Amino acid sequence: MIDERTHSWLRPLVALFVGVVFFLPLYLVLVNVFKPGADIVPDPAGLPLPPTLANIEAVLSRPDHLFTFGLVNSIAVTALSITILTVVSAMLGHYLARSRRVLAKVAMVVLLCGLMIPAPVILAPVTSVLKTLGLMTTLQGLVLVNVGYYVPFGVLLFSGFVKAVPRELEEAAELDGAGKARVFWQVVFPLLRPASASVLIFLGVWIWNDFLTPLIVLGPDSGTTVTVGVYRAIGQHQSDFGAVFAFMFLATLPILVFYLALQKNFVKGLTGGAVKG
Amino acid sequence: MADIDQVIRTVPPRADRDPASRRRPSNRSRLPAKLGRAALFALPGLLAYGLFVLVPIGMTAYYSLTNRNPFNPPTRFVGLRNYGELLGDPEFLKALGNTVIITAIVTVLANVGGLVIATLLDRPTKLYLALRGVFFTPVVLSSVVISVIWQAILTDDGLLNSLLRAVGVSDPPGWLSDPGIALYSIAWIITWQMLGFCVVVYLAGLQGVPRELREAASIDGAGPVERFRNVTWPMLAPALTINTVMLLITGFKAYDQIQVITNGGPGTGATATMAFQVVQTAFTGNRIGYSSAMAAVMLAVVATVSVIVLRVLQRREVEQ
Amino acid sequence: MRRSLVFGLVTLLSVTGCGVGAQQAGTQASGGKVELTFLVFETPNLDAAFWDAAIARASAKVPGVTIKKLVTPNVDRTGYAKQLDASGDLPDILQSVNPAGFAQAGKFAAFTDQELSGFIAPKAGAIDGKVYQLPYNTQVIPVVYYNKDAFEKAGITETPKTYQELLDVCAKLKAKDVTPFVLGGGGADTWADMYPLTGTVATDVYSRTPDWLSQRAAGKVKFTDPDFTKAVQKVADLAAKGYIDPAGLSRSYADTEQAFRDGKGAMYPMGSWFATSADNDKPGFEVGAFPWPSDDGSPVTPTFTGGGTSVSATAENVELAKKWALAFDEDKANNDAFVKADGSIPAIKGYTPPADMGPVYKATVDIYQQGMKDNSIVNAFSQETGDGSLPPGLADKAALAVQDLITGKKTAAQFGAYLDDQWAKATQ
Repeated sequence: MIDERTHSWLRPLVALFVGVVFFLPLYLVLVNVFKPGADIVPDPAGLPLPPTLANIEAVLSRPDHLFTFGLVNSIAVTALSITILTVVSAMLGHYLARSRRVLAKVAMVVLLCGLMIPAPVILAPVTSVLKTLGLMTTLQGLVLVNVGYYVPFGVLLFSGFVKAVPRELEEAAELDGAGKARVFWQVVFPLLRPASASVLIFLGVWIWNDFLTPLIVLGPDSGTTVTVGVYRAIGQHQSDFGAVFAFMFLATLPILVFYLALQKNFVKGLTGGAVKG
Repeated sequence: MADIDQVIRTVPPRADRDPASRRRPSNRSRLPAKLGRAALFALPGLLAYGLFVLVPIGMTAYYSLTNRNPFNPPTRFVGLRNYGELLGDPEFLKALGNTVIITAIVTVLANVGGLVIATLLDRPTKLYLALRGVFFTPVVLSSVVISVIWQAILTDDGLLNSLLRAVGVSDPPGWLSDPGIALYSIAWIITWQMLGFCVVVYLAGLQGVPRELREAASIDGAGPVERFRNVTWPMLAPALTINTVMLLITGFKAYDQIQVITNGGPGTGATATMAFQVVQTAFTGNRIGYSSAMAAVMLAVVATVSVIVLRVLQRREVEQ
Repeated sequence: MRRSLVFGLVTLLSVTGCGVGAQQAGTQASGGKVELTFLVFETPNLDAAFWDAAIARASAKVPGVTIKKLVTPNVDRTGYAKQLDASGDLPDILQSVNPAGFAQAGKFAAFTDQELSGFIAPKAGAIDGKVYQLPYNTQVIPVVYYNKDAFEKAGITETPKTYQELLDVCAKLKAKDVTPFVLGGGGADTWADMYPLTGTVATDVYSRTPDWLSQRAAGKVKFTDPDFTKAVQKVADLAAKGYIDPAGLSRSYADTEQAFRDGKGAMYPMGSWFATSADNDKPGFEVGAFPWPSDDGSPVTPTFTGGGTSVSATAENVELAKKWALAFDEDKANNDAFVKADGSIPAIKGYTPPADMGPVYKATVDIYQQGMKDNSIVNAFSQETGDGSLPPGLADKAALAVQDLITGKKTAAQFGAYLDDQWAKATQ
């Protein structure tokens, strides 16, 4: 305690310094979004004075609507995927956390393995499955693939959290004659809100930012997502950093806002199941 | 279906409860209700997982026993030949090693850095809250975006080397062009991306340490180091677990950064990871059979690590 | 339970009911027309507006076709075409996709001699004697573009005619603290580092044995043979002497060009397409061009002819698709646009480039025409398509191995052994 008081000026200084160094790469993007393209290469780190919106306007008014169409697709895919994922993995997580059967344990391990499988590795057979189901190059297909691929993460978070909910609570509700499903949705699920927030945020971020799966599953003629758009913009503009950075900035903005809106809940959700305060 | 039903039926009743009371609510037929619960709760998730993860893994396993190459038909069954070839394939072994190195660096560096920064930021004023946001931002960004930013910084005539030259370093390192350094640059980029995640989780853990506990320890005459080791650190165990799991996942999956920044180079396989090697072999070399064998080995490694992690996770839960 | 079912159904319906503007736009063929998909790639030279205009011109000549443009996510259109094919989504018409593999597997349609009659080299890139990609243009790979100011400052008055003279030029530049060669190959653009080797293979291997790669396929020669090793050794020596800056290995293709423009090196061995880039957006110095010199100064001109459109064998209407592809590649205005935007040298009978082309393009075309006159045209190593080309994936491996060569991680002998090994793997 004493040592802290004598060095009270040191902590904010060090924290600020580390923060600034850490932030530098992001600063480079931010300033160059608002800088005329010609000024970026000679002076990448300088402030954009006066700032220009030309780069952003150029992205928004692209004749091929790469950004605007991509935005609609991204929002649709992300919103649908994370809504379904929250519901599905909350139920499965609850079921597996409550079940004491060996089979449930095995299912848990099998699901956890899925957490570490890189999507590109199974992408080719995934397209075969989608083709069989007639869902290739559709948004529905992409949503279903997301659900299957990310359900382990949701289950991991929810099952940890369910264990912190007293079993007696559910049983009491059941004694009052409520069905299992009703008990879950009306009693248990509301208690899992922090976990839901984490699932929504993390999977939202991952699905929004995924580029390989939508690239392959949606194919070239059914629109794209904004993140695929970023990848494409890189190829087209190459050294035109203004255009690339503006595209990146706009593509990131929605998910950043989404994160900020939910952030209060989500740390609790990540740790709530395990960290007992 | 029968299995799942059995699972439910054999859930052991708690000892402290009157077994008779359990039966009361279901005057209706009990079996269909149980079945319904299993179907409703477990099936949708398992079905999606099965269809889009397990079935593809099964197909991969099958392909791995063939010489499948869509541009070089016909496909023949070759037994374990692909696996035999893998054992003597220096590129695959290199990719395996690269993946382990990246995962190890990211796991250690982000954990340590995250803990240090979290300790630094563990104060409730606005400055620290704002800095928390700064550290977390890269977690929200796409790997493609992060790769583009860091490529601009680390490339040979990039910003970092311009800076180094400006302060008098005449021959700064080739962060991405020197095969001896590029892998570590990639590991650093992933660490930078994940650091904020660790910071936020450790902060949550630190805030869970009751103040009285720390104060009690300092009254007992414990110095800051001892207090950290004996009081704070054990309380951070769950945070460590969560971070480690997340970092392992990130490390094993490393693909995007390689694809965007180095294409596996410089040179043959300097930064190629397992995921990258699998995709290259499948889509550039057309050798689906062989790439499937790679994928299968990779999945085996992943499964082993997952089981170990799960063990550790469960033991921690017990200890609490 | 019932409520959950209802919820599930609602969710499902909302999913299936969900469509997006971009998706619907133009998927429906209108007015009894056949709609064909056309896969293109965008670069700084060939941007969206370029393709749209070129497509419109071709469509005006072929009634009954509507074209839906598809854009690859990056410049690796062959890789993307493979991925699309793997997911059963091969486009009907494809621009500049290497037909190797696609052709043998029957996925591309072959053009008839009749259809190819308008091309100067109708059999270029043939696979088992059949042409699957229209040989619409020729590229000289590499041409050595050089910074005239840097040459002057180093006291170099003449462009090198022999390989020894090239080395002398390098030594003079190096003495003035100028890096002789700008070379790139970072990120996904590993291919950009191949050009010096393409030059030395042309002068030391292909000039004597034009069908060397076909012989390699037949197992008659190997990459470890002395002549090939000598060609590789030349590149290794350039790097060892510091004539190639290994820093380039982290530069993307665009950054590499920028590095040459910024004067980070005096010579830029690159494909002939750089010519218009240098003309359209002049660097702060004058750019000259000379062919990669051979040991004794005898002319060798490595070229690649092909690169045009291909047609999927499963296109909705193959005949119409071929007709459209021919119209696209033979259209005078389209070729003018390709020439102006991408420095191509059209291989169409009777075609003459616009008169107002810049000096670097003219110097480049001169090199090609001199090569035709000398009868010194050979293939450009690793750029070949069709019979006598590298097996799939090997060009990428070679480009990666060149990086090892430049950083000194592989000797010339190891480089050859590596390629032999990779060849065996790729063809088993």
